[in-house]
Amino acid sequence: MSERYSFSLTTFSPSGKLVQIEYALAAVAGGAPSVGIKATNGVVLATEKKQKSVLYDEHSIHKIEPVTRGIGMVYSGMGPDFRVLTTRARKLASQYNLTYQEQIPVDQLVQKVANVMQEFTQSGGVRPFGVSLLLAGWNADEEKPYLYQCDPSGAHFAWKATAMGRNHVNGKTFLEKRYSDKLELEDAVHTAILTLKESFEGQMTEDNIEIGICDSTGFRRLSPSEIKDYLASVS
Amino acid sequence: MSILAYNGAAIMAMKGKNCVAIAADRRFGIQAQTVSMDFDKVFEMGPNLYIGLPGLATDVQTVHSRLKFRLNMYELRENRRIKPKTFMSMVSNLLYERRFGPYFVEPVIAGLDPKTGEPYIASMDLIGCPMETNDFVVSGTCSEQMYGMCESLWEPDLEPDDLFETISQALMNAFDRDAVSGWGAVVYIIEKDKVTKKMLKTRQD
Amino acid sequence: MAAPCVEPAKGGFSFENCSRNARFEQMGLKFPKAYKTGTTIAGVIYKDGVVLGADTRATEDTVVADKNCAKIHYISDNIYCCGAGTAADTEMTTQMISGQLELHRLATGRAPRVCTANRLLKQMLFRYQGYIGAALVLGGVDSTGPNLYSIWPHGSTDKLPYVTMGSGSLAAMATFEDRFKPNMTKEEAMKLVRDAIAAGIFNDLGSGSNVDLCVITKDKVEYIRPHEIANAKGVKQGRYLYKRGTTATLSSDVKKIEFDVIGTEVKTSAQPMDTQ
Repeated sequence: MSERYSFSLTTFSPSGKLVQIEYALAAVAGGAPSVGIKATNGVVLATEKKQKSVLYDEHSIHKIEPVTRGIGMVYSGMGPDFRVLTTRARKLASQYNLTYQEQIPVDQLVQKVANVMQEFTQSGGVRPFGVSLLLAGWNADEEKPYLYQCDPSGAHFAWKATAMGRNHVNGKTFLEKRYSDKLELEDAVHTAILTLKESFEGQMTEDNIEIGICDSTGFRRLSPSEIKDYLASVS
Repeated sequence: MSILAYNGAAIMAMKGKNCVAIAADRRFGIQAQTVSMDFDKVFEMGPNLYIGLPGLATDVQTVHSRLKFRLNMYELRENRRIKPKTFMSMVSNLLYERRFGPYFVEPVIAGLDPKTGEPYIASMDLIGCPMETNDFVVSGTCSEQMYGMCESLWEPDLEPDDLFETISQALMNAFDRDAVSGWGAVVYIIEKDKVTKKMLKTRQD
Repeated sequence: MAAPCVEPAKGGFSFENCSRNARFEQMGLKFPKAYKTGTTIAGVIYKDGVVLGADTRATEDTVVADKNCAKIHYISDNIYCCGAGTAADTEMTTQMISGQLELHRLATGRAPRVCTANRLLKQMLFRYQGYIGAALVLGGVDSTGPNLYSIWPHGSTDKLPYVTMGSGSLAAMATFEDRFKPNMTKEEAMKLVRDAIAAGIFNDLGSGSNVDLCVITKDKVEYIRPHEIANAKGVKQGRYLYKRGTTATLSSDVKKIEFDVIGTEVKTSAQPMDTQ
């Protein structure tokens, strides 16, 4: 039945669903897991970066990208779609900066990115993005960290901690048990690694995961050697 | 005659101790003919934020409504009060967009930061080049006279009441030497918890 | 008041007022002048980096509009740019290119190179055929070492070890031609740029007030503002404070402002006060 309504992504099925969006969410749910945790003094983003072959040069690709000096992004789902969104997000942030001479607040960026994603569910000749995003940033006004998720439908929400992609249900259950409001950034990094470990197959190394942290000084990706240190202290 | 002097205007803003003041004349004329003496050139852009728009009267009102529109959109979108400095960027952008066909206004902005209460004043040329200072800014048909008055009268850390006297006297004595501005004046003293609007008794010639 | 306010969000310049403004000109009304930075700006390459210098006067025709304006603009963490000419153009052009370079930095993951900034600037200025009146001195340190360019409003550029721009460029260049030498120390370079800017400040009417310097090296930027207050304002002999109550007022309205008292909002409406 549903195939009859999937030829055009802008056609509702009789049950009120846009099946293309559901398929996009399926692409996300089947994608590599990623985790985001908000701590008292920052946010951590972490993701699995497993390569299909040992022949890949794993340092040439990144799954966590900075958008501005203070905001970073990670995804679960399709890599190429993420790159398009990264470029768009950076442009939007730069535009905001030129207009107001002020860094874009995270919530504003999330709304703008979500608008882009929504447009791709309602325009002709395009398909929805096959990614869900986690955005981490520091709100300078409130002096508080924020963690947002952005879905292919354009829905967006703030989290204290969440997991996406493969095994996200287990990941969330794990985080529900582990999360505390008093978590510091250092501990949050550990918790993020442990959450990834829940569903990780094989040996976790500094080359097959990626971590980004965000605090009042800005967003940065951790170097492999820093990740190695964290991994050593976790196990 | 310059287009900026077609209707006549004199506006200035000054910093005081935890307060700012913005003052403007009230005349609307068409070249030498005075048409009205209750023309608004200073507009409220927030509880602690004011903008003065001297220049061509039609552009004063157009720029004001365009700014109000952009400001309302900003505050609805972001759900917070705009900072004076951010507002300045907004005005600057509006004017620079029309770099090659400008609005004939040279805005003056005065306000307090909505969070810290820090005084802020700035002025701009007609294509939006911002100028932020720590003492005073002036704009209008008698800017030279106003510069002279401000340079001699202004001093740092004036209390609101003293700031009122200083800005009023600076403005009145400046526009009394200008034929196309004057005919009444208005002064806003902006403090964190209140804004005092005073209408001045001035010469009517 | 009619509100001609529905405006679509779009970039670029708007030419909607141009035909109206041309009519004004036909009527014999004069076009007002925009702020210019009459300006002396200069830069030299020395042993380990670049020193940029600028005066701090902005003029509107013959009136000094700003006595302490900043003419050394941020481009990126390792590149700065001095601007002369129409003040709004230098301000906006450098901001725009700074934004583009930031995107470039994020896309490449490397510190942007000075030649990239130069190329973006000249292409933009050439596109506008000189109507964007920005004359720039661009300097910075990148993976290739220190670089210094001068960029003209029409889009031509020079890559030189020492450059000057603006109305005071002749005075500043005279100083450079006399005393520039390759591989100077930081102190020598700073002194030379300071003297060049001072020559502009004291001999060119379009330049004045203070000397700003920006020293860029491989891993450090020192933005020294002001480096020297070349013309300190005299101390006022008397006070000209008017006694409170001097100014006659017709009315006085106090508008209380609602503001947060530890999270509680208090709202008071405007209340008119007695009139004189």
